Amino acid sequence: MEVLSPKSAGVESNPAPRKPLRPATSPSLAGVQAASVRLPLCFVLVGVLSLLASAGFLLAQPDLLAMYHYTPHLIAITHLFVLGFICSIVMGAMYQLVPVTLETQLFSERLVKWQFAAHVIGFVGMVFAFWTFNMALVGAFGSLLTLGVGLFVFNLARTLAKVKGWNPIKFGIASALFWLASTVSAGLFLTASKCWSFSSFQPLAAMHAHAHLGVVGVFVMMIVTVSYKLVPMFTLSELQNERRAWWSIALLDLGLAGAFAAILVQSSLKPVAALVIIAGLLLYGTEIKAILRARNRRALDWGIRYFLTALALLVPLSILALALSWSRLPVTAFTMQLENIYGLLALAGLAGLAILGMLYKIVPFLVWFHSYSRQIGRVKVPALAEMYSVPLQIAGYWSFLTGLGVLCVATALSHEAGIRWGGGLLALSLAIFAVNMGKILSHFVRPKIQAFAPKTFTAAKNL
Amino acid sequence: MTTTTLTDELVLETLRQVIDPELGVNIVDLGLVYRYAYAAGKLTVTMTLTTPGCPMHDSIAEGVKNILQTLDGVTDVDVQVVWDPPWHPSMMTPAGRAITGVRND
Repeated sequence: MEVLSPKSAGVESNPAPRKPLRPATSPSLAGVQAASVRLPLCFVLVGVLSLLASAGFLLAQPDLLAMYHYTPHLIAITHLFVLGFICSIVMGAMYQLVPVTLETQLFSERLVKWQFAAHVIGFVGMVFAFWTFNMALVGAFGSLLTLGVGLFVFNLARTLAKVKGWNPIKFGIASALFWLASTVSAGLFLTASKCWSFSSFQPLAAMHAHAHLGVVGVFVMMIVTVSYKLVPMFTLSELQNERRAWWSIALLDLGLAGAFAAILVQSSLKPVAALVIIAGLLLYGTEIKAILRARNRRALDWGIRYFLTALALLVPLSILALALSWSRLPVTAFTMQLENIYGLLALAGLAGLAILGMLYKIVPFLVWFHSYSRQIGRVKVPALAEMYSVPLQIAGYWSFLTGLGVLCVATALSHEAGIRWGGGLLALSLAIFAVNMGKILSHFVRPKIQAFAPKTFTAAKNL
Repeated sequence: MTTTTLTDELVLETLRQVIDPELGVNIVDLGLVYRYAYAAGKLTVTMTLTTPGCPMHDSIAEGVKNILQTLDGVTDVDVQVVWDPPWHPSMMTPAGRAITGVRND
């Protein structure tokens, strides 16, 4: 019998475990978790197409951002961006990431197919109905979308239920699901009240309350929660303070509940609720900073940089939120435009940039898993970062930031040409992103595999 | 006819063909391979992954199995993935640290 143990210089540095090794608790865990990549990819594709369509609409009608946002066309584009782009990506990513982050498997893949159909038909119909401002049609398609959201929430809630005990990530995902259900319910209520005029709430206030449920409750909550797992994973670090993570999510929940009520009834307590949310974000920022300080991987890849830059936008967003929540803020054309900037920074800046960053991590993985997971060890397969162009990724980053900056300034000044320029830069960034996504997806149809270097096997056979 | 002898160098060099696609580094230089033992044609590899719940779990374990089965004299490969001791970047080789940009302290 010949017993081998690591003796090479490379392996000697590893601390060879002396005590009995504990086997992985679930040997086939990941295989089940990542069983199907097609459906998450379908959501991602719909998301990317919606993003491009949103940018196209904005370029065609830049005046929409130069005026107050309560117009049918801007509401239609916002729903295209929010439901078509952000929600599609978030849903596809959650189907993939929730099982991974919680180390379990999805409750039902069949439900995903039904939800996908309801989601796509629902949001496309809603966008058309908003564009033509046919509220009855908005209600019909909105109900279909809500049915899909119900399936999504049910599927993920059952998935969460499989995980014993609670941790900040499970808490955050459960919170986001609750707020998602609340957001679509509020949206349906708003639509119904438009159709039958039974609501005593001021329509604009109700719309803003609905928007905050979605943006803070779903998108910000998901960004916070997922980053507690993914930022340490991608930077080779660890969560530094679990209690801080718990509190950050709890404060977001508490602050949002208060903000929703305060916005809806136009209370002067809105800044208090905003401060509670900001306190949660401060704790979150402190934890992310601690995670990054403790990271072992010095160089941050550009996907992570996109994501961290998006997080930095929480600072101007928090300042704007506080200013806009102040009941004595004078109502002028400029302050009204600040609301547009607030929405722009939250949706295109925070959610958009964070999602682009995460897509650079998620899509290569999904495609890699489909094309190469069974080839590994048989042939040479590419690393994830080799599936796209990093220089293009960098160019996309800078054109996005420049475009966002120009767009914000031009929006503040209601300057249509500036909005077109800013939108153009954003569109350029998205075109670059689309090229890189195309590069990644090309591995889906034409895998790039190579035989292992012959010298290795010559050596092996001759030994 | 050549006689094939399994050596540490051969096993490690073979395992270096298996990469962690996220980090772009092979599993040996990442320090994921804890130990291996050979007996009567069976090669048993004890290894870990960078994080529990790693979505590449099965792919990498299967990759290890695939590549080692190409070695002469190996008729069976058993890959045992363990979480204890947990992987830590300090387990990387200098080559792995250089590629991933991990601190050397």
